[in-house]
Amino acid sequence: MTTFIVRRLLQLPIVLMAISLLIFGMMQFLSPTQRAAAFVKSEQQAQHLDLVIRQYNLDKGFFVQYGTWLKEVFKGNLGYSKTSHEPVLTTIRKRLPISAELALANFLPIMAFGIWMGTIAAIHRDRWIDQFVRVFAVVGWSLPTFVLGIWLLAVLYGHFKLFGIDRAPADILVAFARGDLKAYTGFITLDGLLNGRPDVTLAGLKHLFMPVLTMTVVASAQIMRVLRSSMLDVLNSDYVRTARAKGLPERVVNLKHARRNAIIPVVTLGGLMFAGLLNGIFFAEVIFNFAGLGQWSVASAVQLDFPAVIGMALLTGVIVSIANLVVDILYGIVDPRISFQ
Amino acid sequence: MHDDLDTREREPWYRSKTFKRFRRNPLAIVGAVMLLGFVVVALFAPAITAPQLAESRTARPCLRDLGVKRTEVVSALRNPLNKIFWKAVLTPPESCYSIPRASYSPLPKPPSEKHPLGLSGNSYDILYGLVWGTRTAFYVGFLVVGISLMIGIVMGGMAGFVGGWVDNFIMRVTDVMLSFPGLVFVMIVASIFGSGLTQVMLALAVIGWAGYARLFRGDILKTKAQDFVDAARALGASPLRIFWKHVFPNAIGTLVILASMDIGSVVLSAAGLSFLGLGAPVGYADWGQMTSFARGYILGTAQGSPFDFWYVWIYPSLMIVLFVLAWNLLGDAVRDALDPKS
Repeated sequence: MTTFIVRRLLQLPIVLMAISLLIFGMMQFLSPTQRAAAFVKSEQQAQHLDLVIRQYNLDKGFFVQYGTWLKEVFKGNLGYSKTSHEPVLTTIRKRLPISAELALANFLPIMAFGIWMGTIAAIHRDRWIDQFVRVFAVVGWSLPTFVLGIWLLAVLYGHFKLFGIDRAPADILVAFARGDLKAYTGFITLDGLLNGRPDVTLAGLKHLFMPVLTMTVVASAQIMRVLRSSMLDVLNSDYVRTARAKGLPERVVNLKHARRNAIIPVVTLGGLMFAGLLNGIFFAEVIFNFAGLGQWSVASAVQLDFPAVIGMALLTGVIVSIANLVVDILYGIVDPRISFQ
Repeated sequence: MHDDLDTREREPWYRSKTFKRFRRNPLAIVGAVMLLGFVVVALFAPAITAPQLAESRTARPCLRDLGVKRTEVVSALRNPLNKIFWKAVLTPPESCYSIPRASYSPLPKPPSEKHPLGLSGNSYDILYGLVWGTRTAFYVGFLVVGISLMIGIVMGGMAGFVGGWVDNFIMRVTDVMLSFPGLVFVMIVASIFGSGLTQVMLALAVIGWAGYARLFRGDILKTKAQDFVDAARALGASPLRIFWKHVFPNAIGTLVILASMDIGSVVLSAAGLSFLGLGAPVGYADWGQMTSFARGYILGTAQGSPFDFWYVWIYPSLMIVLFVLAWNLLGDAVRDALDPKS
């Protein structure tokens, strides 16, 4: 197991290298002047673009350029974002907690709801609850995040004036900006508790409700489908029959013998689902007005602010690679039959 | 002689067990009927929207490109004997894809006799956008899936047939492609080449091939292990002949069917990108772009309920959901039919 983790960790830089080469290769479609604009912060600098080009070797060969660029990236210089009017790294640092809070808040409900419904459907095969779950899964799978988001926004927020958009009411955000409330972690829900203000936490949770509901309906559909079909396979297997024959209670058979094995394909799916989850968070941020990374990078892409998008892509590459590593390790924990040699 | 035997023994596809399983699935029928509806709407888009074309000033470029006078639009576009009818159905000019505007008023207007589904913000005709948007959806879906399928077949074929380090390399590339969120890739493309439907379609096609490559590689490896391939090799067939004559035809079928079922999700992605403002420009007949009108009204209507303008966002978003649902129902049934175990 340890050797496997070490080997996978050694693979990580190679994958990251490949992603960065791909991203840098895409940037070659821009002229050196355009690429130099990524590092320009002010009007005066814009008048000396040729200096910038020379400083970052933008007129040299591909690998010299790549080397210079990579060195700058490691130094934390990702360029300057026109959209947020500050260095890309500063914006990423500021907005990362907001997106991370949203992502973490989504993760548990999606997994729990998907696994729970998938199990129930398989146990009660062809009964009405199973039919309901199957219809729910197909419909949820067909509902795009942005359509369901818009519908919920219109009905719950627009009509019934519930929950609210943005990540907290304006007065709380102002209090954070003025420093009346200290942002220890950047997570509204946690900071509320750390400041001794449970009402802030409650408000944060209330504002998380709509995005989480949207993404849970959309994203848990896939888990339900996979878990249901693998659970049906397992329920028909010999060892489950043996367990029943031994006289074990139904609950133990279903949860201990069947579901533990049925969950393996869900973990396999987990790596792929993660990419979808990130996509969903981008939409959720735009629709529900969360000032996170997704909202910023979408606005940047529309305004041709490529340093911001490239910075975001690099960050995504790192996150996705680490997530895949975690999924691989989880795979070994969930399924002890797999030996990592 | 050998060929004779072959044709006599092969049953037609519509009598196969797989097709029977497919046909007996009620959800498959529902999906197929819904899809058929969309095909009809897409095909007869010019005839359905002829009154709107005749009505609006902003539809003039479309009429000019079709070569039809304003007064005879309706009669020409609804008469299958007319040459212009067929021109509009088969090769409509690009200008017909921009939604005509009734006026320049920024406020939406509820459904009326002239505009059966109402006018959205800036007076774009909603019915026109929905009907021509069906065409956009099919166009985007088929083109994107077609291109990624071609890349996927080439890459997967190479990986499966050549094997060795080529296989290893291509599979590592697909690993990276599959785990990287497509939206971020599209954003890179949009920030470098500008936003637009063409860029979005190209980006989606470039992302999409990885899954097909893996599937095709797996099918090739499965086919390669079968006895008739060994037999061909024993008879002295060259590797290329084995690939083209024996492996390729047997491995390709499932892939093409499964890939075509992805059209729904591709259209969904494209609509989402248009919604974010990275795809089709404002005023282009595209469901995602039309749905994005909604957000402003919901968030901005402090003076009224968002249901005042329900027609602006209900119809386009419903079209997306129904279209994707139709493909997914069909896709589910196809997968079940191909894999009797599940």
